[in-house]
Amino acid sequence: MKAIVSVDNLVSQFVLNFWTPIFVGIFLAIVFHALRPRNKAPFDAAAKMPLRED
Amino acid sequence: MTNVSAGAKSMTIGETVLWPLFAVLAFLCLIGAGFAHDAPFAFHASLGCAASIAAAFAILNRYYDRPAKLPPQEINGRPNYNMGPIKFASVAAMFWGIAGFAVGLIIASQLAWPALNLDLPWTTFGRLRPLHTSAVIFAFGGNVLIATSFYVVQKTCRTRLAGDLAPWFVVLGYNFFILIAGTGYLLGVTQSKEYAEPEWYADLWLTIVWVTYLLVFLMTLVKRKEPHIFVANWFYLAFIVTIAVLHLGNNPALPVSVFGSKSYIAWGGVQDAMFQWWYGHNAVGFFLTAGFLAIMYYFIPKRAERPIYSYRLSIIHFWALIFLYIWAGPHHLHYTALPDWAQTLGMTFSIMLWMPSWGGMINGLMTLSGAWDKLRTDPVLRMLVVSVAFYGMSTFEGPMMAIKVVNSLSHYTDWTIGHVHSGALGWVGFVSFGALYCLVPWAWNRNGLYSLKLVNWHFWIATIGIVLYISAMWVSGILQGLMWRAYTSLGFLEYSFIETVEAMHPFYIIRAAGGALFLIGALIMAFNLWMTVRAGEAEEARAAGRLQPAE
Repeated sequence: MKAIVSVDNLVSQFVLNFWTPIFVGIFLAIVFHALRPRNKAPFDAAAKMPLRED
Repeated sequence: MTNVSAGAKSMTIGETVLWPLFAVLAFLCLIGAGFAHDAPFAFHASLGCAASIAAAFAILNRYYDRPAKLPPQEINGRPNYNMGPIKFASVAAMFWGIAGFAVGLIIASQLAWPALNLDLPWTTFGRLRPLHTSAVIFAFGGNVLIATSFYVVQKTCRTRLAGDLAPWFVVLGYNFFILIAGTGYLLGVTQSKEYAEPEWYADLWLTIVWVTYLLVFLMTLVKRKEPHIFVANWFYLAFIVTIAVLHLGNNPALPVSVFGSKSYIAWGGVQDAMFQWWYGHNAVGFFLTAGFLAIMYYFIPKRAERPIYSYRLSIIHFWALIFLYIWAGPHHLHYTALPDWAQTLGMTFSIMLWMPSWGGMINGLMTLSGAWDKLRTDPVLRMLVVSVAFYGMSTFEGPMMAIKVVNSLSHYTDWTIGHVHSGALGWVGFVSFGALYCLVPWAWNRNGLYSLKLVNWHFWIATIGIVLYISAMWVSGILQGLMWRAYTSLGFLEYSFIETVEAMHPFYIIRAAGGALFLIGALIMAFNLWMTVRAGEAEEARAAGRLQPAE
């Protein structure tokens, strides 16, 4: 007989019910990572990658 | 790829495994051809047999011809880039591009003059149309994406492409898939899914090729010398992974017989339609957008000799596109049996796509900051920049057409065709042309293109062609939509269907003229690239280089 409440059920129910805020949260974390002032220098360096010669 | 044993010349693992595998495949194809239930399947099995024998022979021949050691990863401390597969894919792209544009011109002419169907089954619009779409999207666009992705991933990772035979397997295997798909359409083999017409055996072959493509790309990233993975590689990776998922999701089919071409898809009814347009729209989103945005993020900075305007914006552009695009497919099924909430979901996500699309467009255009003057002198850069402008226009128009009330007018009309071609000719076509104009001199180690004047001619002829094409289709489509919905004062339809067809005739001629100009431009390009490979930079350019302007 299947357990009515299990860790698996709780996780899947949580993901099913809250997938929108979860994905929005992930996206906001990415935006934070992209705009974080301490990341400016490495990103500015990365912007020049196509210009580098071997 | 490592050698099986050290010391004397020995086969790599790839060579050891692949040549007997192809020999077995040749035998299986021969059996398939012998027991075939239909002629197209017999033809394709025979092609498979011939290609497998050629592959086994080529692997063995290469083994006996090559030195004991494989090409080194580095020469004098610099990466020894693998350009062979890139060169092949570039040539294949140009060949398929011209073939695809030519077939497009034929079917555009057939719509204006139906007698050109020739009353032959192989030359009817119904068979040539998927040949055109697959040739331009998958054959031309696909080869451009394979060529540029293999180039960009090597250059930005500063390492040689992973694998020895694998990159060649990807390029040759992919083009063999195109051959099977294209000849299948002409022979009437289709599973009737738009942009996914090839039957089960071609789909299985593509799956093997695509997984190898993913592995080559991933393993090159894994052995990179640069700590940072450049944004273009993220776009390429998203394109490769998502196309794999879409291909598997939309093509689960059960063949009637393993010796026949016909199969039946697992999905039924509206679920099938939903899967189809989840696939169809994301083929646009991840094949025709993400992959070509990777080209934008590498080739525009490189050609303009300017860094990317905002690398931070490129990261947000990438993730926003990835998060949103996958949900937009239902806008292809407005006012159908698809549940209304799903249609609204598709519409809403399509509108939200305005933001990442325009963010990316602005990022591409602003990369020219400080280098706008180059647009006057460099027609290749002009082509790349105009492609980004077309990207902006078509990604504005797309979400607008996804709005349900707009779609009630535009759907099933030529407006859709106009929209698709502003994206396909203006964005995908021009960014591909620009990339090939850059890539061919780099891959063949030439100083520059044979003639920039010819690029200029190509640019203007093709641009006029696009304008003729898309404006004709916009007018035709809106005319068509308005005529369909026109009622008389007594509540009857004002126009019969055939009257709407008649009204579109002049626009079909203008469209065909636009397509002809686009084809002429591509022929000029092919000549220019051929001369670049053969002769390098033309004397006029070298002379211009010697004469420095007095400043």
